Amino acid sequence: MTERIIALSSVTKIYTRGGESLVVLDHLDLEVARGGFCALMGPSGSGKSTLLNLIGGLDHADQGQVEVAGTNIEALDGSALAAWRAETVGFVFQGFNLIPVLTARENIELPLLLAPLSRKQRRKHVDDALELVGLADRADHRPSQLSGGQEQRAAIARAIVTDPKLILADEPTGDLDRESADQILDLLARLNSELGKTVLIVTHDSLAAERARRVVHLDKGRLVDRSEAALAPGGGN
Amino acid sequence: MPLRLVPRNLLKHPLRSLLTLLSLAVALFLLCLLRSLVVALDAGVRGAKSDRVIVQSAVSLFVFLPESYQEKIRQVEGVAEVMGWTWFGGYYQEPANFFAQFATDSELLFSMYPEIQIIKGDARDFLADRRACIIGDQLASAYDFDIGQSIPLIGGLFPRVDGGVWDFQVAAIYRSNSSNVDRKSLFFHYDYLQQSREEGGVEGPPGIGVFVVKVKEGEDPLAVMGRIDALFENGPQRVQSCSEAVFQAQFVSMVGNIPLFVGSLGGGVFLAILLAVVNTMLMSAREQVRDIGIMKALGFTNAAAFWVILLQGLLLALAGGGLGILGAHAVSEPMAQALGAYFPGFAVSRETTVVGLVISLAIGVLAASVPAWRLSRLSTVQTMRMEA
Ligand SMILES: Nc1ncnc2c1ncn2[C@@H]1O[C@H](COP(=O)(O)OP(=O)(O)OP(=O)(O)O)[C@@H](O)[C@H]1O
Ligand SMILES: [Mg+2]
Repeated sequence: MTERIIALSSVTKIYTRGGESLVVLDHLDLEVARGGFCALMGPSGSGKSTLLNLIGGLDHADQGQVEVAGTNIEALDGSALAAWRAETVGFVFQGFNLIPVLTARENIELPLLLAPLSRKQRRKHVDDALELVGLADRADHRPSQLSGGQEQRAAIARAIVTDPKLILADEPTGDLDRESADQILDLLARLNSELGKTVLIVTHDSLAAERARRVVHLDKGRLVDRSEAALAPGGGN
Repeated sequence: MPLRLVPRNLLKHPLRSLLTLLSLAVALFLLCLLRSLVVALDAGVRGAKSDRVIVQSAVSLFVFLPESYQEKIRQVEGVAEVMGWTWFGGYYQEPANFFAQFATDSELLFSMYPEIQIIKGDARDFLADRRACIIGDQLASAYDFDIGQSIPLIGGLFPRVDGGVWDFQVAAIYRSNSSNVDRKSLFFHYDYLQQSREEGGVEGPPGIGVFVVKVKEGEDPLAVMGRIDALFENGPQRVQSCSEAVFQAQFVSMVGNIPLFVGSLGGGVFLAILLAVVNTMLMSAREQVRDIGIMKALGFTNAAAFWVILLQGLLLALAGGGLGILGAHAVSEPMAQALGAYFPGFAVSRETTVVGLVISLAIGVLAASVPAWRLSRLSTVQTMRMEA
């Protein structure tokens, strides 16, 4: 039996807006195995981002259990959750990634400031991450001086610089042209296959979803797992 | 905490930061100078000796007292010594060159005012020459006066009938270690004034301006003051005694209630600047909503986010305020020269510097803490929604 890194059971998320309540996630169950590469698809407004944020500890469920990397994160308070996040999860968002007043290198270094590392050690980690995403020659550029694809690569470098177990990416290729999008997907696939990171990616792009070894669809608050075995010759993710 | 976000965000809008910084600088510059004025006024009062009592006319400071009072006051129980002190009111070359001149009983001056210390020349030369005077070291440096030089003064209160000038020979230069004795004054012999009046070459009121009374050790100055006032209860001229501190304070209140005026002025400046900085901080914080969201997602705490914003306000306020305080120090010396005898002892003190820094700090904290607090509590999810 493969170890589960994500285990959601009966998770419910309800938004109340002006007296009306909207059930975004309805007693949802999801398990993702360690080392898996999973794509999450679904119509706009179906709650994909909400689900991803719950898994990353950015948001709380109204009901149910959210266990990630062996921790029941619903039980953690604000600062414990922040510390857990820093250690466990790397985020890549769409167009919501880099701090504009910092260079690529400084952005990537950010999460390392939370770890007990020397300046030299931090520099080494950042250099490695830059190398990995092929941005070594753009290290000292500000986000405004980078292309969309380069920005996303910098964001991925930052997501992995602390060596987290889990990478959560919310539409990382949403704004990009095909070529840049493919580069990003290649990169995420490499993180999964070469470094053994578990990758969970939200996407609208079916080509992107094809790169994943497993695709789940979110609709009306529930998950429909369509391609578990079919798309993954390795199987069992 | 990503500290480099603090200067980077301030430099992101250099013009906006610069303008805020300059407004802070101007405000603190003014506040420091205003406070220094008040301190200068106050210093005379606070430096006053408690064993000295001033006897002046009950009518007004400008009404002179009969010379004969000196001997009568000396007989009062508890009085150690009495000295005349007469405002001369002359000026050097032109009325703008204003400094205080006093005609006193020179042989008593040094024992009555141990604060006055001769630093150049000889007190005996002063006592030996009828037309000699001593001048404060700051007066000497302001006009380049030196020992042996004569200072021609045009009599304001005591003009010479022939329209000529008074001539005073500088015999010594003094220094005072206490703020109640101005270092820009000139002291000369009352006898000289008196003789000139008797000879008829001089116009002006007869008598002596005020008497300075030294109270015997162990005597209660209040009781002595009461006895002196009682002595002249039935004329010919009634007097009113007061402590030296109260006497000095009279001048302060004569210039209007300056401390109150300056206080409310300072309060207004403080408020105006606070609003300007609050505005800047709100604008700047709004632009950093997304940065805070990213920081939170990476695992930074509310506290880290709070400090990133707060430190921006603090840095801006301290830099602006510091610049203003430095400016105040830079003009302190020329200001003191320009204000001259009106505000003896004007200087931007270390205490004023500290007060200025504390005010700057307070502005920074007050202006930045609200946006910092509000922003730091936003979750990543909330910031993403705000962006959308
Ligand atoms: N804070 C909130 N308050 C009220 N409603 C919310 C809130 N956050 C999300 N929603 C609603 O929940 C639903 C799911 O939102 P979510 O952002 O998770 O969708 P999504 O699947 O990521 O959509 P998209 O593909 O457009 O990004 C939407 O209808 C949205 O309007
Ligand atoms: Mg979404």
